[in-house]
Amino acid sequence: MVLIVRCKIADLITDIPDKGGLSARCREYSWDGNETADIVIDERYYRPDKYAPNFTEADVAYMESSRQFYIRLLHFDGFYLHSSAIEIDGKAYLFSGKSGVGKSTHTRLYKQIFGDRAQIFNDDKPALRCVDGRWYAYGTPWCGKDGINQNKKVPIAGICFLKQADCNRIRRLSNIEAVQRIVAQTIYRFEKTERLELMLGHLDSLIRKVPVYELENKPEADAARLSYETMLCGAEEI
Amino acid sequence: MIMKLNENFTLKNVAGSWVVLPVNQATLDFNGMLALNESGVLLWRALEQGADKEELVNVLTREYSISEEIARTDINEFLNKLASAGCIKEPSL
Repeated sequence: MVLIVRCKIADLITDIPDKGGLSARCREYSWDGNETADIVIDERYYRPDKYAPNFTEADVAYMESSRQFYIRLLHFDGFYLHSSAIEIDGKAYLFSGKSGVGKSTHTRLYKQIFGDRAQIFNDDKPALRCVDGRWYAYGTPWCGKDGINQNKKVPIAGICFLKQADCNRIRRLSNIEAVQRIVAQTIYRFEKTERLELMLGHLDSLIRKVPVYELENKPEADAARLSYETMLCGAEEI
Repeated sequence: MIMKLNENFTLKNVAGSWVVLPVNQATLDFNGMLALNESGVLLWRALEQGADKEELVNVLTREYSISEEIARTDINEFLNKLASAGCIKEPSL
């Protein structure tokens, strides 16, 4: 008999089986209301066969609970963006791109520049949700290896895709470029057309409301100042 | 020649751009997604209705004031693009 941990994640009441160390990850999100759950993570639908043999039970529980949450999140005007999310002065700045491109490095530069004014609240899979017509980034327990993770809801100032380069340069992406890049970093394959269509509907709304950039950069403080100043200006137009 | 669209692809307008995306593909990279212009959407819709190549030529010459020759060149290019993205099923013999 597996215990169920009740959480509130991205403002959604979520029941999660206490398996593979999930309850420790979810501590920040624990919730003791007795409402009907919005999302129920069901371990009967975990698919250990989908993973390489060297994956532990904890790895599978992490991946599969994350997957189930994501699928349900699509029905609540949300999806994940593979990104490092940082809050400054009540606004969220999301840095995305493929693994190894320097997302965490970039948000750590923000910490160096802004100190405690800047808070990294998720370093892997923040949830993005549209609530009352506005897009927010939320912390989630699915936050990558280092466990950086705060339970927050922050309005999104901008999304920035990183690209390694030998100079620092930023530009606003066209809508079609933004679609391409976000789709490539939303983590899950869509096994059903319905889910892909839901995701694309959310993406349509997001791109109309939130500016999306590409930053070519070197891993240095000047790059972080450039992305911050540009995204802050862009956010004032929202 | 019968050309059949692969039903694992879906055409959708996202923020003003028409994109074709695959369902159930492990990784979606830039090559995993097609962007279609207005005439591409027209041709896609015709293919959805089961149009063959001659019908596509008719669709394009009717909608745009272009010669049949230019339409044929454009359509071949379009079909090659779809084929290399896996959007068209091999015709069954």
